[in-house]
Amino acid sequence: MTPLHHIGNFIRDLVVQIPLWCVRALFLGTLIAVFLWVLRLPRETTTPDNATHWYQNLKIWACLALAIQIVIYSIF
Amino acid sequence: MQTLASLDYAIILAYLIGTLALGLYIGSKIKTGSDYFLAGRRLPWWAIGMSLVATDIGAVDIVGTGGAAYQHGLAVGNFEWIGCVPAMIIGAFVFIPFFWRSGVYTIPEYMERRFNVAVRSALAVCWIIFMACNLGIMLLASAKMMHVHLGLTVNQCIYLTAFLVGVYTISGGLAAVVYTDMIQCLIMIGGCLLVLVLGIIDLGGIEQFHTKIKQQEQIQRQKQAESAAEQQTLNTAQNELHTSLILPADADTPFPWTGIFFGLALILSPAYWIGNQAIVQRSLGAKSEFDAKAAYVWGALLKNLIPVVVAVPGLIAFVKFPELTDGDQAFPELISHLLPVGLKGLFLAAFLAALMSSIDSYLNSASTIVTNDFYKRFYRRDASDQSLLKIGRIVTLLLVFWAIGFSFFLMKRSEGIYTIFQTLMAFFQGPALAILLTGLLWKRATGIAAFVGFIVGVCFSITLFTLNQEAVYTWLDIDPLFQISEPFLYFSIWAFVVSFSLIVIISFLTKPEPSEKIEGLVFGTKPKRRQA
Repeated sequence: MTPLHHIGNFIRDLVVQIPLWCVRALFLGTLIAVFLWVLRLPRETTTPDNATHWYQNLKIWACLALAIQIVIYSIF
Repeated sequence: MQTLASLDYAIILAYLIGTLALGLYIGSKIKTGSDYFLAGRRLPWWAIGMSLVATDIGAVDIVGTGGAAYQHGLAVGNFEWIGCVPAMIIGAFVFIPFFWRSGVYTIPEYMERRFNVAVRSALAVCWIIFMACNLGIMLLASAKMMHVHLGLTVNQCIYLTAFLVGVYTISGGLAAVVYTDMIQCLIMIGGCLLVLVLGIIDLGGIEQFHTKIKQQEQIQRQKQAESAAEQQTLNTAQNELHTSLILPADADTPFPWTGIFFGLALILSPAYWIGNQAIVQRSLGAKSEFDAKAAYVWGALLKNLIPVVVAVPGLIAFVKFPELTDGDQAFPELISHLLPVGLKGLFLAAFLAALMSSIDSYLNSASTIVTNDFYKRFYRRDASDQSLLKIGRIVTLLLVFWAIGFSFFLMKRSEGIYTIFQTLMAFFQGPALAILLTGLLWKRATGIAAFVGFIVGVCFSITLFTLNQEAVYTWLDIDPLFQISEPFLYFSIWAFVVSFSLIVIISFLTKPEPSEKIEGLVFGTKPKRRQA
């Protein structure tokens, strides 16, 4: 056994004890954190200079992509 | 799928001629190196977004993902979902606009501006080795799948693919790659969607599909329990593994949640979407900063669809053909049983589209790196834009010949060589992400630290890989380091940790980079205006 084996076994024993509902919360939490970050982005970074329509705001489409992910990881 | 009718061949021929004609038409408008490598910086977001998706999904991925879904379940979908979407969204608003504004041709070029020429060269060498090997692998793997269906030999398929992709990539450069990718993306998604819809209809609808998956899992568990001496070892937490995205850390699968979250979502995915030259290059060719961002958001939206059309057919095959011994037969079996004449041709066109869209992108990006990071950097610093166009085309041609030669070399080798090259990316993606993140986000990171961190990180992941080879750990009389069959996700995690730690420690021990050097190259410093 090398030191790498000891480190590996220690970490493996640790993560195996984490229940799957906690893991799902971790996955969903990450996606929700990115979703909230996108929502808080200033408008000038998500729209073109001469934007005239709501659908030109990339924030909407980025949030849609992340919302689909949140639904998928909630179900499966 | 073995018997194609005239209509099938007509559809395939129409697709091939259309792609070639479009590539040659775009090529007729290419006048300079900037036109060739960055499409004259005139690409619209919708074309780039679809090209990003098409490049990421190769023909091998269609068959491989379907096969992995057949064997290991829906968890393979993580590679397209959490392994893409969050990184693409963050990349869209943080990293991609930054690269676009800096006006670089390649990511290694950014590394020299931020650190030094040694970091640039080390990263460029890693990318060129990976891309060159990957070109041969993609050609051979795809030819092996195609020759059965087209009635040609493997050699003929290699020559045919190399000729078609070579002609339009040499002629049209990045613009040809992106616009043909766009068409290929549509055909690829359409073809796979067809298999999905017909497969679900064949099983009696979505409700029936879900019920049958559960029944099939039950049957498989019973078989495993009979063969296993200790029935109680079958963990109840492993119920519904085939429809679960999150699998236990100790599950018998290459996709445990630990690897997926820490290796894929946090390391490989950001490294791929913000550091892979073949991916980032097309957004550097966007006509505006907004287009560069919008392309990534559009790509992320499309990515939501990919596992549905690529992985779910594998689950359909799991229900329909439970006796298959090789998961990679899942897709061909479905095609053979589900698709009528004409639609088989359409799917094979989709398959060719997936194959060509990956090879053309790697050809073009490898040529960009050789021309800009080696030829222009070390040989002709004053090379004109026209001469770079000429060199770019010659290098692309040489890479086509190399890819053909390397695929023939691989043909004579054992299957093990494929696994080694599949792991190649994991060798340097972790260290590459470490230098990219520290370079972009931390003013104190120094060139010496980045170079040492990168080289040691790559060596460390190669060491982990070596220690995990059966011949090596048996000879050393130790246990394998990793307990899953394909631990490439774990290589990238540990290589990133080692590289990142070294960069931080050595940076504190070395002299900081002058502030005027890193101005506009690190977040929080005054942005430089985009160079023409």
